[in-house]
Amino acid sequence: MAELIGSLLVLAGAVFHFSAGLGMLRMPDAYTRMQAGTKASTLGNTLVLAGLAFYHPSWTLKLVILICFVLMTNPVSSHALARAAYRIRISMTPQTVVDALRDAPERIRGRS
Amino acid sequence: MISTVVLSTGLALILIGVWGMLTHRNILRIVIGFSLIGTGTHIFIVAIGYVANGTAPIMDRALSVAEAPARAVDPIPSALVVTAIVIGLAVTAIMLAYAIRLYDSKKTLSIDAFTESKW
Amino acid sequence: MIRRAAIVLAVALFGLVFANLAAHYAERQSLLPLAKRYVELVPRDLGAANVITGILLTYRAFDTLGEVAVLFMVAAGVGLVLAARGRRNESSPGEAPEPPRPASEIVQTGAQMLVPLIAIFAAYIIMNGHLSAGGGFQGGAVIASSVILLLLADPHRRLDLDFLSYTESVAGVLFVLVGVAGMIVAGGFLDNRVLPVGQFGAFFSAGAIPVLSILLGIKVGCELSVIIDRFRPELSTERGSQ
Repeated sequence: MAELIGSLLVLAGAVFHFSAGLGMLRMPDAYTRMQAGTKASTLGNTLVLAGLAFYHPSWTLKLVILICFVLMTNPVSSHALARAAYRIRISMTPQTVVDALRDAPERIRGRS
Repeated sequence: MISTVVLSTGLALILIGVWGMLTHRNILRIVIGFSLIGTGTHIFIVAIGYVANGTAPIMDRALSVAEAPARAVDPIPSALVVTAIVIGLAVTAIMLAYAIRLYDSKKTLSIDAFTESKW
Repeated sequence: MIRRAAIVLAVALFGLVFANLAAHYAERQSLLPLAKRYVELVPRDLGAANVITGILLTYRAFDTLGEVAVLFMVAAGVGLVLAARGRRNESSPGEAPEPPRPASEIVQTGAQMLVPLIAIFAAYIIMNGHLSAGGGFQGGAVIASSVILLLLADPHRRLDLDFLSYTESVAGVLFVLVGVAGMIVAGGFLDNRVLPVGQFGAFFSAGAIPVLSILLGIKVGCELSVIIDRFRPELSTERGSQ
C-alpha cells in the first residue's frame, strides 16, 4: 500500500518533469521558458523525493532536508537568471501585456 | 537489461551532442554540444562496468566485506570517469575563454563570421 | 542543402555504429580478475569502505596527482587567454564596460542563508570520501559553487587571489609530501599506510586517505574559484587604483 502511494507520487513527479521539458521547448521567449523550467521541475523534484520517502521510511528526515534544500536553491538561481536577462534587454514576446519591472521604483529595479 | 538501457541513453546523448555541434551556428551552443558528448561518454563508460544483479562497490549495510567480490559492480570505470569529468570541465573552461575572446574581436557569436581559417 | 545532407549522413553513420555496439552488448556476469583483486584488497589492506576512493587515492594515486596538474594548467591557461582582454579594453576606450549592477535582494538574502549550508555540505562530502560516496574532487566542486554564489550576490566583491593561490600551492606541496612520506615509511609513493589504518568504517580510518581527500578538496576548490574569477569583467575600481 505504501509502495502504491509512493509510485503514484513518483509518477506525478515524472509528469511534471516532462511538462517542464515540454514547456522549455514550446514557450515563446526566454522569460516564459525560465518560468516553465523552474516551477515545474522544482515541483517534480519535490514529488519524486516525497514518493521515495514512502519506499524507504527510514530516509524520511534526509529526504525532507533535501526537499528544503531544493526549494531554497532553485527559485533563487532562476530569479538571478531572469533578472540578468531583463537587464541585458532580452526581448519579450509581443504577447506580453504587463511589464511590472519597467514601472517599478528605482529602488527595487536597481539600475537597468 | 539495466545496463543496456543506461548504455543506450549514453549513446543517444553522444548522438544528440554530435548533431548539435554540427548544426548550430552559435558558439555557445557548439560548446554545449561538446559537453553533451562528454557526458554521454561518461555514462557509457560507467554502464559498461555493470555486473548482473550487482550493487555499488561501497561496503556498508547493503554490502558486507565477505560477499563483495561476488556482488559488487566494477569499480575501475567509475574511478576513470571521476578523472574524466574533471578533464571535461577543464576543456569546457578553455573553450568558453576562447568564445569570450572571439566575441571581443568580432562582436558576434556566430561562427560564420570567422572565415580566416577557411580556404 | 549539401551541408544538411552531410550532417544527416554523419549522424546516421554514427547511429549505425552505436546501434551495433548496443545490440551486441551482453551484461557481464562476474567481475574481471583485476576488479575482483581491487574489491578484495581495498577493505582488507587499506581499511577504506569506498573501493573507488581507495583506488583513486592509493593504487592509482599518481593519476590523481596528474589530474591535479591538469587543473593547474587549465587555471593558468584561462588566465593567459583572458588576461589580454583587460589590456585591450584600456587601449581602445571606445566603449567603457558598464559598472557591475548590485544584485537583487532575493539573491543577497538567499546567499546569506545558503553559503554556510553549502560549505557544511562540501565538508560532509569530503570527509565521507573513504566511508561512502564522496571524495576530494566532488567536495572541491561544491566549495567552488559556494564561491560562485558569493560572487553573484555581491558583484563588487574582489576575491583575495593571493590567498587562494598560496593555499592552493601549499595544499599541492602537502599532497606530494604525504606521498614522499609514504615512500619513506610505508610501501611506496602515496601509500596510505603512513597513518594508522584504524577500525574499518570508523571516521578516522583508512590511513592517510581522509588527509589526502581534504588536501585535494582544498586544492580543487581554490583552483575552480580562480577559474571562475577570471571570467568576470574587469572592475572599474581595480583599474582606477592601478
